Amino acid sequence: MDAPLSAFSPRAATVQHRFFSPGRVWALATNTLTELIRLKIFYFLLLFALLLIGSSAFLVQLSFQDQFQMLKDVSLGAMSIFTSLLAILATSGLLPKDIEDRTLYTILAKPVSRLEYLMGKLSGVVLLLFVSMLLMGVMFAAVLFWRVHVVTGELVTGGGPQELIDQQLRDLHATAYNPNVWAGGLVIYAKACLLASLTMFISTFASSSIFTVIVTVVIYFIGHLQATARDYWQVSNGAAMGHLTKAFLAFVSLVFPDLQLFNLVDEIVVGTPIAAWLLYKTLGLGLMYFLIYLLAAFFVFSNKEL
Amino acid sequence: MSTPAIAIRNLTKVFPIPFRRDRVVAVRDLSLEVAPGQVYGLLGPNGSGKSTTMKIVLGLISPSAGRTEIFGRDSQIVDSHEEVGFLPENPYFYKYLTGMETLRFYGKLCGLRGAQLADKAGELLKLVGLEHARDRRLGGYSKGMLQRIGLAQALIQDPRLLVLDEPTAGVDPRGSAEIRDLIVGCKDRGITVLLCSHLLGQVQEICDRIGILDRGILVREGKLEELISIEDQTEMIFRDAPPALLAEIQQLVAKSYPQVNLLETRKPQTTLERYFLEVTTAAKAKG
Amino acid sequence: MKIDEGIAQATPSLGSRRRQYSSYAIAALMVLVFGAARLPFEAGLTRQHRAASFGNVQLNLGLRAKIGQLGFLAALSGFRTLVADLLWIQAHTAWEKVEYGRMNLMLNTVTTLAPHNVNFWDLSAWHMAYNASVAAFNDSKQPKLVRRLQAQHQYFMVGKDFLERGIANNPGAYVLHQSLGAIYRDKLEDHWNAFLEYDKAAAFARAPTYEKRFAAYELAKVPGRERQAWERLKRLYDMGPQERLPTLEKSLKAMEEALSLPEEQRVYKTPVQNPLDIIGKKLQIP
Repeated sequence: MDAPLSAFSPRAATVQHRFFSPGRVWALATNTLTELIRLKIFYFLLLFALLLIGSSAFLVQLSFQDQFQMLKDVSLGAMSIFTSLLAILATSGLLPKDIEDRTLYTILAKPVSRLEYLMGKLSGVVLLLFVSMLLMGVMFAAVLFWRVHVVTGELVTGGGPQELIDQQLRDLHATAYNPNVWAGGLVIYAKACLLASLTMFISTFASSSIFTVIVTVVIYFIGHLQATARDYWQVSNGAAMGHLTKAFLAFVSLVFPDLQLFNLVDEIVVGTPIAAWLLYKTLGLGLMYFLIYLLAAFFVFSNKEL
Repeated sequence: MSTPAIAIRNLTKVFPIPFRRDRVVAVRDLSLEVAPGQVYGLLGPNGSGKSTTMKIVLGLISPSAGRTEIFGRDSQIVDSHEEVGFLPENPYFYKYLTGMETLRFYGKLCGLRGAQLADKAGELLKLVGLEHARDRRLGGYSKGMLQRIGLAQALIQDPRLLVLDEPTAGVDPRGSAEIRDLIVGCKDRGITVLLCSHLLGQVQEICDRIGILDRGILVREGKLEELISIEDQTEMIFRDAPPALLAEIQQLVAKSYPQVNLLETRKPQTTLERYFLEVTTAAKAKG
Repeated sequence: MKIDEGIAQATPSLGSRRRQYSSYAIAALMVLVFGAARLPFEAGLTRQHRAASFGNVQLNLGLRAKIGQLGFLAALSGFRTLVADLLWIQAHTAWEKVEYGRMNLMLNTVTTLAPHNVNFWDLSAWHMAYNASVAAFNDSKQPKLVRRLQAQHQYFMVGKDFLERGIANNPGAYVLHQSLGAIYRDKLEDHWNAFLEYDKAAAFARAPTYEKRFAAYELAKVPGRERQAWERLKRLYDMGPQERLPTLEKSLKAMEEALSLPEEQRVYKTPVQNPLDIIGKKLQIP
């Protein structure tokens, strides 16, 4: 009776297992991206388009310097809001949903390590954010070119001395096109990725996704004040400050990320030049945050009872 | 004997109750082995520790004490999962994926690629009878279809061991029978199956060996037929027996073997399940 | 009995839950250690950002009072310039309603929130020095001329103040020097300072060429500086026909006359009279 069974061996022998496989991470990442896209999450881009077109229609009444300045402020501000929200909301649901639907069991029962699982999920969000930034960037550029085209026509047909027109056109191009805007976009993206990683970390020990969202949003706000707390704590060392206040400031400085450092876009938009090394340093810090939160998430998740 | 497909040795699992100094012992000093090629039924009432045992075998939770192995490899270590396919109780897969995409996804997690993966996924869809729904999203699948795609997903890398948690819970008798047939098919292909269920009728039909858990303790374990056959009784079943023959037999027993007790004479009944399947098949054929 | 044994066996290695707690502890420790490690780095980076004029805006309680709780929250969370934009549009509305006092306050908040937006400084100054000042002078509710003149002058000074703060925040913006020069020229009639500002504007490589002309025109209006003014004007004149605009020619001529330059140095020679005319005139003398 045993003979025919042992003759049919479903799989040749013991399979060689690879400790870490980028292929598995990629499969999880693309799957997460597909899932999020099919959730129709990109509908928010319609909102962005509406905002762009609406504001550019409204801004027509302002001078062209104002117009382009505000168009850039609004667009990059909206990119920042949307990517941050997207990062937090998309990430917060991933883990709870997989646990609740027991999909996580089917995945972890495959030869997938928990690190690969977390990395895959997070990479999916990172891809999603990248696609969103790209789409918003394209929309923004299209509106910008269109407005420049319109305003150029107005200036040229408006008449006046040639020297003045030339000067105005130069001004127009200087205000409208700013070669540093892409750097601002990069920093926005870095911040969103940082937030995604942070959200993933929190969701590994949170009891629900709503808890994750609330905690992350609170961290988001405090993160923008972290620098102030740090300055206070460090500058006024030994000054008249209670131990409790000092401990509190130290806590804020050590625990919360300094998100103010990723707010370069305000100044970039008005034309403040950014040195390459300063940009890379800032992006490097963002990457460090991303990795640390991922690692912390892995520590919690690897010992989690599912 | 060859390496057991599953070896559980002195397994204990204790869950503390949060915010209290109390704890629940889910599994207590459990030891059992499942031989390769067997279909093993792990039975027990709700809360008896079946699911916990299964999760530990799959490395989803860690034991408080003891050890579990799959084909000799510690099941807490990921590489042992190369050999395992798992179908959890009431699974929901990614509902925005189609049947085909789901299988491809799980295949990629097992390191399958390209044409090999496409062939395998197509083959499995055919096996579980979901070819017609390969491009439909799982959101539109019925319970039974989900269970079948779950089974296909578990089989994607040709595992040597299949772990099934209540594979037919909530599925109608027809779907349930189909899943049972699939499990029997797996057994015929030499795959070891660990089955958790409290649908005893089904377990009885397909399992070689069973273990019964109660409050975390393995109370009975052994070959199914040895456990449930009643050694001092015998059944005889005739077709077209005239009443005169039956009367004669009764007389013979009464006259010649006074120590034998005729306990009952009855017409064997088909199972309600078989009856239901017959009726619905007939209706289906007509419609 | 058997049950108790089970627990007894389990107790020594009640690992999993404890392991979970210890993984929380490890994660918390990681966050803290990373916090301590990044502290000096971030402090340094913040300094470097501020040195490159990024994010050096003090969001304080005074500002919160001005922009309200919600605006303050938005400004804190990285949408500072958006809040500034909204306030700017509100300030525009105030302008349409001729509420210059309120507008002044709002413009101050706008420029505080977005100190590197040159345009905000420039237009704020323009609104104050050119629009608000005129409105103040024409204020029908104030019958006393002296008072109206005082108010007008105050708005000139407010405009000037905006530009000076704007320049302090944006050392690279020649436009602000140009605008300040214009206020000195048109409103305060301080041609020496107007010259200085235009001259500063002209010093920027990106500045348009007319800054040099404007500077020279203003210098020509300062008594006692005719020589320097003439030199600048002459240099511009020599650059070619594109610089020889009517104002430049007029100004150059005035300087030549004011300096009573010898004939051979002048661009605009005293028209030479026809000798025959002279003779004729002489002949007519009885």
